[in-house]
Amino acid sequence: METKRLSFFTILWTVVKYLLLIVLGAWMLLPFYWMISASLMTSKEIIQMPPPLLPAVPQWSNYVEVTQVLDLAKAYLNSLIVTGLTVLGILFTSSLAGFAFAKYKFRGRDTLFAMILSTMMIPFFVILIPVFYVVKQFGWINNYAGLIMPGLVSAYGIFMMRQFIMTLPDEYLDAARMDGASEFRIYWQVILPLTGPALVTLGVFNMVGVWNSFLWPLLVVQSPDMYTVPLALNSLRTYGMEARVLNLQMAGTVASVIPTLIAFVWLQRYFTRGIALTGLKG
Amino acid sequence: MGTATNPNLTNLQPLGKPKRIRISHNALWGYIFIAPVALYLLVFSIGPILFSFWVSLHNWNMITPVADMESVGLKNFQYILGDDDVFRKALLNTFRFTILGVGTNTVLGLCGALLLNANIRFRTFWRTIFFLPIVTAPLALGMMWGTLLNKNFGLVNRILNAIGLPSQPFLSSPDQALYCIILIAVYQYVGYYIIVMTAGLQGIPEEYYDAAAVDGANWWQSFRHITLPLLRPVVLFLVVTNTIGALQVFDIVFATTTGGAETSGGGPAGATMVLVLHMYNNAFKFFKMGRASAMAMVLFAIIFIVTLVQMRLMRERA
Repeated sequence: METKRLSFFTILWTVVKYLLLIVLGAWMLLPFYWMISASLMTSKEIIQMPPPLLPAVPQWSNYVEVTQVLDLAKAYLNSLIVTGLTVLGILFTSSLAGFAFAKYKFRGRDTLFAMILSTMMIPFFVILIPVFYVVKQFGWINNYAGLIMPGLVSAYGIFMMRQFIMTLPDEYLDAARMDGASEFRIYWQVILPLTGPALVTLGVFNMVGVWNSFLWPLLVVQSPDMYTVPLALNSLRTYGMEARVLNLQMAGTVASVIPTLIAFVWLQRYFTRGIALTGLKG
Repeated sequence: MGTATNPNLTNLQPLGKPKRIRISHNALWGYIFIAPVALYLLVFSIGPILFSFWVSLHNWNMITPVADMESVGLKNFQYILGDDDVFRKALLNTFRFTILGVGTNTVLGLCGALLLNANIRFRTFWRTIFFLPIVTAPLALGMMWGTLLNKNFGLVNRILNAIGLPSQPFLSSPDQALYCIILIAVYQYVGYYIIVMTAGLQGIPEEYYDAAAVDGANWWQSFRHITLPLLRPVVLFLVVTNTIGALQVFDIVFATTTGGAETSGGGPAGATMVLVLHMYNNAFKFFKMGRASAMAMVLFAIIFIVTLVQMRLMRERA
């Protein structure tokens, strides 16, 4: 059925299609390529004209030098602790509250649920000053609690877990109750294992945001030993935008983005699932 | 208590059981499970928004006790809306950033999604590439682009020179800085638009297009009458959530146009001064918590209006 003319346009369209994709992809990759390449250059090469595409000899010493200026290992550790505990907290509070809203009947339940959902409309920046004040009053400035506490509950997470747990049959709960399980045990041993996939999606989705967050740590952290990775990177930035430190800055930037990139490539399907979920449920 | 006189509830009590147990076992556990989250949100979300409003009506430096705050009525709002030129500039910049950034991303994202949804090989590969900037810290992206766009030795200028064009000041120019920030934001989020819109496109049943083809519709007609209307909720979702996000832009601006000792920032001639940066400076550099809170309230009002418009648009469709 296909005519010659049609297949010509099919070929043309295919070429254009891939060409556009390649342009878009190159745009996405170019800054990463330059960041990695520049991080391995000498400070002379970085301003050389015409720009070299790759360093003549990779200067791995740049990375060593960065770790001498910055305690990157401590920053990784801090970020790991903060991100890990925050995500665990979000998973716990989201699933527990989601479970209660999905499977228990109590007075004011729907009003409470609506109120919790409405807190999603409060942007963090709008309550920055009061939250900072609360954290200060609790004495959490410049420690892990200050970094972790304000991020432990996600209204969206509660919503998502409630929707998920509502799809689980009540029979599981009834059977567990017959066996004399306590309500908390039902949550811990019956519901939690069943919510695995939803929890992983929620966790992965929040992980990157917490790891990358900048303004809040900037306010709470006051000494370099509490720096998270973005703060460490920021301190590198304040050395100035001079050519002689550009390669070091890029080395620091590479070191700071590598964990999220690895996490992303490793957990990619959960990211895309999470994105599709937020995108389509909205 | 209302429950004590409510005959329906008292009738439910089984005979012989003591009357004081009015909350069922089930409801009790519901409350217990909700309590931590409710308490938490009271302290870290609902309380703060009320407190923020309260502070916006006062003079406060966060050091004097809350009880001794000096009440100034609406003076903070009067000041920021009437006399604060930087605030006006920040508001204008934020709006320009939001409208141009979200607008560009919506169009580019739709094009990208149509491409990715066409019969493409290695779809996962492309998706991975588009996703890279999204998972990268905005601060790191700002630094990457700051280097690329450096006016003296940035790669972009050297490419321009190589093809015979003059160097551009980019981030150090009052005219170009904001557009550079928009470029970085578009770069960071376009992949997110593409992925979400691709998911939306894949949710449109193939039969619709088949039926349209049978009726002799061309590509544009099926795009106009099937794709666009069915994609509308997804586009609306993207536009609203990203508008709310863009109104709060901070990291990119901070990473590219504040530097060294000069931390108040805002770029050349305040070209990239945005709302949250101005608020941050007022609160944590000048300790004018009242003014900063008034700005927060203005931001909240704007975001509230955006959300209301979204709800209205969503309902219109249903």
